[in-house]
Amino acid sequence: MNGWVLAATVELAGGGAAALWGVTTGPTARRVVAQNLTTAALCPALLLLAQGYGRPSYVDLALLLALLGPVGTLVFARLLHEDLEGQRPSAWGLTYAVAAMGAVVVAAVCAATGPGRAMVKLLVIGALLVGGNLIASRALSGAFRGVRGG
Amino acid sequence: MSRRLRLWLLALGGAGLAALLAAACLDLPGFGGRAHPYGTRAVHASLTRHTANTIASVNFDQRAYDTLGETSILFAAVLGCVVLLRQARDEHRARPEPARVALPVRRYALLVMPVALVCGLYVIAHGQLSPGGGFQGGVVTATALHLLYLGADYHALERIRPLGVFETTDALAVCAYLVLGLAALLAGTAFLANTLLPYGTFNTLSSGGTVPLLNAAVGMEVASAVVVLLANFLDQAVEIEEESAG
Amino acid sequence: MDEAVILVALLLVAGAATAAVAQRDPARQALVLSVLGVLLAVLFTVLQAPDVGLSQLAVGAVLTPLLVMLSVRKIRRRGRDRDGAR
Repeated sequence: MNGWVLAATVELAGGGAAALWGVTTGPTARRVVAQNLTTAALCPALLLLAQGYGRPSYVDLALLLALLGPVGTLVFARLLHEDLEGQRPSAWGLTYAVAAMGAVVVAAVCAATGPGRAMVKLLVIGALLVGGNLIASRALSGAFRGVRGG
Repeated sequence: MSRRLRLWLLALGGAGLAALLAAACLDLPGFGGRAHPYGTRAVHASLTRHTANTIASVNFDQRAYDTLGETSILFAAVLGCVVLLRQARDEHRARPEPARVALPVRRYALLVMPVALVCGLYVIAHGQLSPGGGFQGGVVTATALHLLYLGADYHALERIRPLGVFETTDALAVCAYLVLGLAALLAGTAFLANTLLPYGTFNTLSSGGTVPLLNAAVGMEVASAVVVLLANFLDQAVEIEEESAG
Repeated sequence: MDEAVILVALLLVAGAATAAVAQRDPARQALVLSVLGVLLAVLFTVLQAPDVGLSQLAVGAVLTPLLVMLSVRKIRRRGRDRDGAR
């Protein structure tokens, strides 16, 4: 077992357990925040696994998760906004911490990959992950206020 | 049949299943072994046909007939949904009020939509080279369109989504898969046999013979099927109302 | 030692699947389901099946939650309209 897979295991155990606990307990507002942070916690684990197994094509999984994870959170923000009204679900400290961790992992994997097309792909994943995470958090904390019908 | 008898029957069936499963598990090869009789043969066959991704070779070449079945299952399922969720006689459509979405979210949706579309097409086109393929890419492509619903409102999505075109594309894509199979038959080999086209250079976009074409057909089918499916769900959830309630 | 990551992923998937069944409210169930989808994708990746993982990710991340939430919305709206008509 190399260091990359070990790091992925630690990240998966910590992030996955925290996400699972957050999404199964407490009020709905906290659950959607936990659902949002799942993407940000597990996408770096997928990147680390791709690096650890030495298979660059596994990076596609991280790309799709970074792309679709925030979209899934937007679905909940849009269709659950009546439940969330007046609650302003947000955990900005945690959000920034997880985003920073994602950025660190992307930077580490970039450094191991070296310049080239693979690095551009990793940077795109990093941008989608951090940007999508922040936007989805913003959407949860009240971007769909007053949406009726549509 | 009494309740007691049914329970006994269930217990009997369950015990039989458990016994068979246990017997099968005892005969399984060890977990995570290096060699596997079917795996070795599948990899060999995919390499002789210049398909870098063995899974794509199994799905669209060695077992292309199975994939035809899966494609028709999705087609039939979506057809069933269209019939079940159609607008009934005692229902009418009400235009929903336009939604007000915060500006950053709207910008994000408009920015990510083309990226997601390109990613979906990338996954379809590279199906024979890297993980992915028609199904995965098709779902991503269809999901990308619905960012317009999440970032703006349903009316904006309806404008870029001519439903008739997607319904026709769905049927045409299934036909394309069948035609590719029949073409092999006409050429004198078996149905869906990968002998029509040159295998190309290993690990390039055009390698693998008919695998990329079948991938593209499945991608088209899945993308339009998911769009049609979601359109029916969205119509029911957003627009269609019962007459008596109004 | 590579089995450790498989074990962690398996335990998380088992926990998430059990939690999804134990939830009563369909909306909350959809939230757990979307987390379960991502965890399953990770499990398939560590078992070296990235094609299946990609399918799971594509379907589980957006499509399933969207379908479930749209159905929930339709049923809630219908209940509200009925109450209003009375």
